[in-house]
Amino acid sequence: MNITLVTILLLASITFMTRYLFLEEKLPLRLGPNISQLLSFSGPAVLTAIFIPILFFNNNEIDISVSNAYLWGGVGSIITAYKTKNIYWTIGFGGIVFIGVSSYF
Amino acid sequence: MIKGATDMLPLSLAVLPWGVLFGSLAIQRGFSWIEGQLFSAVIFAGAVQIVTIELMAENTRYITILFMALVISSRHFLYGLTLREKLSKQSLKWRIGLGFLLTDELFSLSGHRKSYASKYRLYYALGAGGSFYLAWNIWTAIGIIAGVSLPDLTNLGLDFAVAATFIALVIPEIRTVPVLVCVLVSAISSLLFSFYGFELSLVAAASVGMLCGYGVQRVRS
Repeated sequence: MNITLVTILLLASITFMTRYLFLEEKLPLRLGPNISQLLSFSGPAVLTAIFIPILFFNNNEIDISVSNAYLWGGVGSIITAYKTKNIYWTIGFGGIVFIGVSSYF
Repeated sequence: MIKGATDMLPLSLAVLPWGVLFGSLAIQRGFSWIEGQLFSAVIFAGAVQIVTIELMAENTRYITILFMALVISSRHFLYGLTLREKLSKQSLKWRIGLGFLLTDELFSLSGHRKSYASKYRLYYALGAGGSFYLAWNIWTAIGIIAGVSLPDLTNLGLDFAVAATFIALVIPEIRTVPVLVCVLVSAISSLLFSFYGFELSLVAAASVGMLCGYGVQRVRS
C-alpha cells in the first residue's frame, strides 16, 4: 500500500473515532441532568463558532471595514433569518447582499 | 427518509463550492482522481480534507497531519456527547451508520426533541445524512473532473453560502435568553480565539458559549 492511501485511511479512522466514540454504549459514561442541559446548548454554540470567523476573517486576517462583503451579507442573512425563519430566503437574500457589496467595492 | 433528504437539500447545495474546491485542489496538488475521491468517500469531512491535503502536498510530518485532523475533528466529540443519550441505545448498525454520517450539517438537523427516538426519526436522519454524503461525493467528483481547468477558487467568497446556511439554522433557535447569551458569547469568543490563532478556537469558543448559556439558565430558574 502506498503512503497516501495509508494516510487517507488513518485520517478516516480519526474522523470516524471523533464522531463515534460517545455513541458507543459500552463506554462507561453516564451523563447527569446538568451535563445534558449544558449539552443542549451545543448546537447553536458550535454553529455560531463556525460561521462568525467566516464573516470576520479573510486569509487569516480580521477585516472589520465597510468593504467586507461577508459582514454585510451576514447582517442581511441574520435579519432575513429572524424575519422569515426560512433557510432559502436567508441564503438567497444574504447572498444578494453579499454579491452586491462585493461587486460595489 | 425523503423528508430528511429534502430538509438537507439547502445544506447539500451550500457545500457545493467546497466540494468542487476540494476535488480540484486534490488534482492541482498532484493526487490521482482515485485518491481525491477516496478522501471524500472515507474521511467525509470538508475542513479536515482541505487542510490535510494541503499539508500532505507540502510533505508535512506525518504526526502533524494526524494531529491537525484530530484538532479540527474534535468538535465531533461534542456532537457525540449531545446525541449520546438518544443514539447509544440504538443498534450497532444505526450507531455506526449515523456515526459515520455525523457531520456539522447532520448535527444541525438533530436538534428536534424526538430526534433518533423512533424508526421514523432514524430513517429521517439516514435520508439527511446519506443524501449529504452523496452530494459531497458528487461535488468532489465534479471538482476532480474540472481539475486544473479551474482557477484558484479559495478567494472567490464561496464560503459565504456556508455561513448563511448556519445563520439560517442558528437564528430561529434563539427563543430564550440563555440561548441568546450562549450565541453571543460563542460569537465573541470565537473572534477572540481565532484572532490569537488558537488551534482549538472552535471547540473552545463553543464551550465557553455553552457554559454561559447554561449558567444564565441556572441563575434564572
